Amino acid sequence: MGSLSSSLSIAVQSLNAATGGLQVTNNNIANANTPGYSRQVAILQEAAPTNDGNLSVGNGVVLEGFQSVRDELVQTQIQQETQSQSGANAQLASLQQIQPTFTTSTQDIGTQMSALFSSISSLSTTPGSSSARQGVLTAGQNLVTAFNTASNSLTAQQAGLNSQVTQDVSQINQLTKQIAALNPQIAGLKASGQDGGTLQDQQNQLVLSLSALTSVSVIKTDDGDTLTTGNGTPLVVGSKPFTLQTATASDGMTHVLDQNGTDVTATLTGGDLGGTIQMRDQTIPGLLGQLDTLANQFGNAFNSVQKGGYDQNGALGQSFFTLPPAPPATVPPAVDPYPGAAANIGMFISDPASIAASSDSSAGGNGNLANFSAVQTAPLKSGQTPIDAYSSLVYQVGSLASNANAESKATTSSLLQLNDQLNSVSGVSIDQESTNLITYQTAYEAAARVVSTIQSLFTITMSMGTAAAE
Amino acid sequence: MRVTNMVPDAQYAMQQSQQALSAALQQVSTGLRVNQPSDDPAASANLVVSLAASANVDQYTSNVSSVLPQMQTADSAISSIVTSLNSAITSGTEGANGTESTTNRQSIATQVQGLLSNVIAQANTSFQGVYLFGGSASSAPPFVPASSTYTSTQASVIPPLSATQLTAGTVTTVSDASTGKSYSVTVLPGQNITVGDLVNDINAASPAVLSAGTTAKINATGQLEIDTNSSAAGIAVTSNDPVLGTMNATPGTEVANAYAYVGTGNANTVQVGDSMKVATGVAGDQLLTSGANVISSLNGLITALQSGTAAQISTATTAVSTALNYVSQQRVSLDSTIGQLNSQESYLGQETVTLTTQQTALVGVSLATAATNLSQAELNNSAVLAASAKVLPQTLLDYLK
Repeated sequence: MGSLSSSLSIAVQSLNAATGGLQVTNNNIANANTPGYSRQVAILQEAAPTNDGNLSVGNGVVLEGFQSVRDELVQTQIQQETQSQSGANAQLASLQQIQPTFTTSTQDIGTQMSALFSSISSLSTTPGSSSARQGVLTAGQNLVTAFNTASNSLTAQQAGLNSQVTQDVSQINQLTKQIAALNPQIAGLKASGQDGGTLQDQQNQLVLSLSALTSVSVIKTDDGDTLTTGNGTPLVVGSKPFTLQTATASDGMTHVLDQNGTDVTATLTGGDLGGTIQMRDQTIPGLLGQLDTLANQFGNAFNSVQKGGYDQNGALGQSFFTLPPAPPATVPPAVDPYPGAAANIGMFISDPASIAASSDSSAGGNGNLANFSAVQTAPLKSGQTPIDAYSSLVYQVGSLASNANAESKATTSSLLQLNDQLNSVSGVSIDQESTNLITYQTAYEAAARVVSTIQSLFTITMSMGTAAAE
Repeated sequence: MRVTNMVPDAQYAMQQSQQALSAALQQVSTGLRVNQPSDDPAASANLVVSLAASANVDQYTSNVSSVLPQMQTADSAISSIVTSLNSAITSGTEGANGTESTTNRQSIATQVQGLLSNVIAQANTSFQGVYLFGGSASSAPPFVPASSTYTSTQASVIPPLSATQLTAGTVTTVSDASTGKSYSVTVLPGQNITVGDLVNDINAASPAVLSAGTTAKINATGQLEIDTNSSAAGIAVTSNDPVLGTMNATPGTEVANAYAYVGTGNANTVQVGDSMKVATGVAGDQLLTSGANVISSLNGLITALQSGTAAQISTATTAVSTALNYVSQQRVSLDSTIGQLNSQESYLGQETVTLTTQQTALVGVSLATAATNLSQAELNNSAVLAASAKVLPQTLLDYLK
């Protein structure tokens, strides 16, 4: 049989449970806007019943503890999507700075190339005119400047990306240190059967920040999260962080080394670091290679025409452009077979009379100018005409930037959806917490009413008979 | 799905519609749909090619404008030559009249000499520094008074100049006023030709190309000397070889009424279309010496008037008539080129319009489309903002008292 005191203890448990509920609601409301916070719920359970003969009487409620609500799968997807987004953003930012160089303007290579051909065509109408000859030299110089500028803008971008690598690696090391430090604490809580709670939220948030820098695989172990890069280079095992190092390699670029000093640069993908390395080591050298090839082949085509004609003094033509010597060809072909060609192309001749306009050594001849003009329509060694070669370079820059932009947009929108999904599980709803507040408030008021009722019953019981006796 | 917080979605929607608004605004302000390669990589690449084509068309148009006045000047020069030849024929006919006195014939001969000078002056016409009848040698007068003897500036007795090698790439030309032909020696790179070889070559060219009796030698002072050995045959010699230096006519050896052509046989050509080139003049030898020789026909008439019989004058006049017909024929081809240039000019105008239209289609946007896009983007943006303003402040707390 139940007693008043057992009822009172049930009421006390109710008050406890309601207080616990209020506390967790309070905490949820407080952290509604904290990044990475997973809402918590109070775990309430019925207390074991008391059996008295045939009667089984409930013994109230027990507050078992607090539990964070999580969805590990969505969390992992968000990490992966963040890697893609940061990688795309890193490439996009860099490509957006490269793009203006290859955008049609008054100074881009295509315009200057056309201007050079126009100046030559113009000279053909007055082959002896020194102002028309000067016009060709000026146009040649402008084209040289356009090549130099384009090459400089690519190498400057590459240098900027190179210093970004060092910054990214130092951030990665800081994050892995913090993540490793949290591992034993979370493992301790879990070993004692508790939820990782706040610490787990913090760690997830740190892993997410790490994902923004490079691709990370997470393996859950009893010692906490083990982290490796996408390619398996360890970053965190238990409480031990594995720091990455940087070193300047023979190519003048900063390379990333693992704990053992092995170069892992090429294996790093995803995240800001992956995107930066992709731009620095693949995309920009590829573009630079094409630019150098164009500068070299165009320059050589012009030089050989110039050497086949006669200048205004009737002497055989010299080179038109200066070009750095090409290194011997390699198998397979190098990404940039003519390194430094666009950066170092210059004007060889400076005297207007040196333009080899004549094909028969007569001073006013213009026969060789037609050969200069033919460079415009004849395929270079690469198989493309100069303007086609440049236009495909423009296409590539545009399509790289446009792809990076599309990927950035796609990942942003898919991250939004994934976050919505995660929030639908782990997010704090103010409305929901408000109703919970009412629920627990009501529960508390009711339990308190039970206590006061029992108290009055106790009073009645205590004064039983006394009043009647008097 | 449990919805907890609409702020990120609202922010994303606002960001998207603001980006669209900014893109629409840029389209209206620049009139371009493609402002950087990533906006449309294929269109940007095509634009590069199309702009190069445009630059060519612009240049062709400008070439037509430069060449047309050259051609017109050449045409009027030929027209003036034709007039002179007609006058010469009239004078010749007058001189052939058996009743004319010797004195009158002498004075007619003087008139014809004046006409010859005018023909030469016209043949040496230049337009803005370009000599129109010099062929590719367009920067110097193509017809020069001929002399019977030329010597080189450079000289060497020991070692003899004949042993000296000529410079690669140089050309030495002997132009003969009587035959109307010229003999050139061009030293190709890698060829070993000495001044002595040059002397032998020139000697071998007489009498096939150069007047009979023309000889070259190294004279007593060690100079290269070229001599026609005739007071009637004149030559002009040019060389750009520093080994010889400038070739100079020996003073006092000028041949009266003889002019040598020092231009080249190939006229300069100028591109006025992707596959259209026009010659910018007529090579002077083709016009005046190589066909029916205009200069020697006039020269012949002068000689006949000065010392010939009526029959000889008549024959010489006939020769001038033949020369006149020949020059008139040359003028026809020049006039047809002028006609071609005029029609090419209007074709290029159309081409410019076509290319501009193509470029607008590639990267441009019509104002109407841009304005519509802008107002649509504005509408969209205000809708997103209005919706956000309505939805975001809604909480249960508003209704709890």
